[in-house]
Amino acid sequence: MRKIFFLLLILTGFGVCANAQVSLSAHVDKTSLALDDELTLTVNVSGVSGNITMPQLPSLPAFNVYSREVEQSSVNGETSLQFRYVMLPRFVGNATIGAVRFNYQGQTYQTEPIAVRIYRTAANVPTTPAPHATPRVEKADPNLPPLEASLANQAYAKAGTPFFLVAAVSNTSPYVNQPFTLGIRFYYSQAFHDAPYQKPTVSNLFMEDDGSREGSQSISGTLYRYQEQRYRLSAVSAGKATIGPATVRYQAGSAARTAFDRIFGGFSSGPERTVSSNPITLKVRALPTEDRPASFYGAVGNGFSITATADPVQVPATEAVNLTVTVKGPGNLKATQDIHFPSLEGFKMYPAATTSGTTSAGTGYKTFKAVLVPSSSGIYTIPAIAWSYFNPDSTTYHTLRTTPLQLTVTPAEKEGSAFNFATTHTVGNGVQTLAHDIAYLKMNPAPNDNWLVRLGQLAIINGVCILLLALAALFVGLGQKSLAKKKAFLTAKNQLKKSTSSQEIADVIRIYLQHRLHLSTGSLPLKEITAALRKQGVTPATAEAFSLLWQRLEAQRFAPLHDASAGNAPVSAQALSVLKLIEEEAK
Amino acid sequence: MKRVFLLLMVCLFSYPLPAQSPMEQGESLYRQGKFSAALNEYETALRNYPNNPFVYYNIGNCYFKMGSRGLATANYYRAFRLAPRDSDIRHNLALALETSGERWIPSGVPVILHQAFFYLSYGELKGLTYLLFWLACACVLVCLLRRKWNFLATLACILVLLSAGWLLARARLEQENLAVVAVPVAEVRSGPGTNFPASANVSQGHLVTVSDTKDAWDEVIISSQGLKGWIEKDALEKI
Repeated sequence: MRKIFFLLLILTGFGVCANAQVSLSAHVDKTSLALDDELTLTVNVSGVSGNITMPQLPSLPAFNVYSREVEQSSVNGETSLQFRYVMLPRFVGNATIGAVRFNYQGQTYQTEPIAVRIYRTAANVPTTPAPHATPRVEKADPNLPPLEASLANQAYAKAGTPFFLVAAVSNTSPYVNQPFTLGIRFYYSQAFHDAPYQKPTVSNLFMEDDGSREGSQSISGTLYRYQEQRYRLSAVSAGKATIGPATVRYQAGSAARTAFDRIFGGFSSGPERTVSSNPITLKVRALPTEDRPASFYGAVGNGFSITATADPVQVPATEAVNLTVTVKGPGNLKATQDIHFPSLEGFKMYPAATTSGTTSAGTGYKTFKAVLVPSSSGIYTIPAIAWSYFNPDSTTYHTLRTTPLQLTVTPAEKEGSAFNFATTHTVGNGVQTLAHDIAYLKMNPAPNDNWLVRLGQLAIINGVCILLLALAALFVGLGQKSLAKKKAFLTAKNQLKKSTSSQEIADVIRIYLQHRLHLSTGSLPLKEITAALRKQGVTPATAEAFSLLWQRLEAQRFAPLHDASAGNAPVSAQALSVLKLIEEEAK
Repeated sequence: MKRVFLLLMVCLFSYPLPAQSPMEQGESLYRQGKFSAALNEYETALRNYPNNPFVYYNIGNCYFKMGSRGLATANYYRAFRLAPRDSDIRHNLALALETSGERWIPSGVPVILHQAFFYLSYGELKGLTYLLFWLACACVLVCLLRRKWNFLATLACILVLLSAGWLLARARLEQENLAVVAVPVAEVRSGPGTNFPASANVSQGHLVTVSDTKDAWDEVIISSQGLKGWIEKDALEKI
């Protein structure tokens, strides 16, 4: 009741502005029914506008009216209304639904009376279809958009089926990446519950949800409600693309549902059934390659726009500037490629992020961001950035360009992070440091490798040095020893020739033994000296000869009998021969 | 006469003028602020003179002006290794490192000691060590064979040992796989892959030591921060 009152309030809000031809009709869904069945009276009012009042039902003694529903549709400013009254019979026998009256702009319209036969049980009711008082032309309004008209026409073709699913697309031969819409409607004229929906599978298509809505449509006099799910589609590549069937599983109310159940909310569910939409095959057209600009990133459609902003437009050197380029237009821009920012002299550019989406108004957008870091101060211009799209209506490419942006780059402010250190401080003697920068290029020829570097490449000399050192060490350790021995004999030989006294001869022999055999004769008795000589490899005969020589020299030293100078020549000759023997025999 | 004049003019204008060298062209472009074009010229020059410290220095200047502090640092470092006594190279390297938050002279190290340590290039230091070694060998030979120059031999041996120690210390630095972060921000991950979590971010121009390599990832040690982790190879410029 509150709904009806609310609807009346809305309806009375319309202004009166049209003098259309008003038509009024009424019909029932059946003319024969059982006592426990229900009857639906439908009153159609069309060609009205502005303030509309409810139709006046006649006196209905044979029925109890327990439900009233109103549905409104408006085309080209004209409003059509459908009033439905669900009634329960009270008596068995013939009953008449009198004329329904409708007042509009001071005139009263009325319908013809309708005769109804009420039986005691359902078994007695003859199975004759209910005559329609006003047959309708079942065709969609030609002013509707193609997608909605296609869905409505498919629905008209399925009149009489209480549940069905239809699907249609807004474009059956789209270009690659051209956005179009898929609509899937689940129509029902009866109550149901538990109806899970399974969306269609697609091939060679990119698909994303585009929202859902509800509505109603009168088909052959029966009011169908529908739930519609929409998808945004775009083809991935040229060729064939398919949209599989969508399905809905539902459980409808049973045929044996009684008016008692209806009144008191009872609901008996029927078996689970499935309805499917028709599969759709699309022919995807390739984009023309001729005259395709370099700035084309895959966008297809019409009505695009591009903007570029820089923030901030005045910045110290080495500080970041955010460059944002936004493209807006119909459909989904997500599938398009990222824009290529041109390289800018004097700037380091870091592409930062790309975001895309759809605004609440259904417009797609894609935002490209980049961070620009100017290296030195000055006034720079970011040139226009081109972005092209393909217009499927004119089958040509169009190029959009951003407005060139001007940036003012001041010297850097922070020390340690800039090329030009803007810290100013006085050094002294009136000299003030204004900025620090890198030293300039070097134009003079590079220094040749100096002599030290060249020496470092002569590693082979190290080996020679090491070899020489080893040889020297070897010589010092071994060769010098034998040389010293040989030198000891030669020295002794020379000195023996010059010796004039037995003392000198004894000293020569003593020195020889010390150098040659490392034998110290100073404190040793003769017996131990000869024993030492034997140990060095001297034969017993030579040792005996040395013993005789040594005794003779000692005798001459301690008991000289005659002139020493006259008798020493044979002694020195004897000493020389003994030393020769020792030299030959000793190890 | 006219023919002769024309012939002379043709000969004059057809005589090939001496072409500008890549270094000269690079300088010309650099002065015009066309740093990327100048960089191309210097990279061409580098192919002809791969061990020229001034080419590396000029490349570093181009990168610095283009805002690539990491690549600038890497090239200044290469130039410094070849010509360590050049004051401009030292200045620019120090400046590039400072802009990245790095210290050219480690804290606590006297400036004079640092300068002395890096006074000679590695090649020069090697040559000096060799020379001292040869002199020491000569002195030792004389000492062995002639029994004289003992003091000189001892002194030469001490100098060789000192020089060899210096060379050894520099060799360790030379063999260290130094690299510079060349991208604005590099993520340091706990393993060689994006499936490992990032533990730190390192900004451009920081010096790191590469200790290991696996596929497209380098294990790095950031001594100044006490960090160790994995960075993508593309984010690093090896020195």
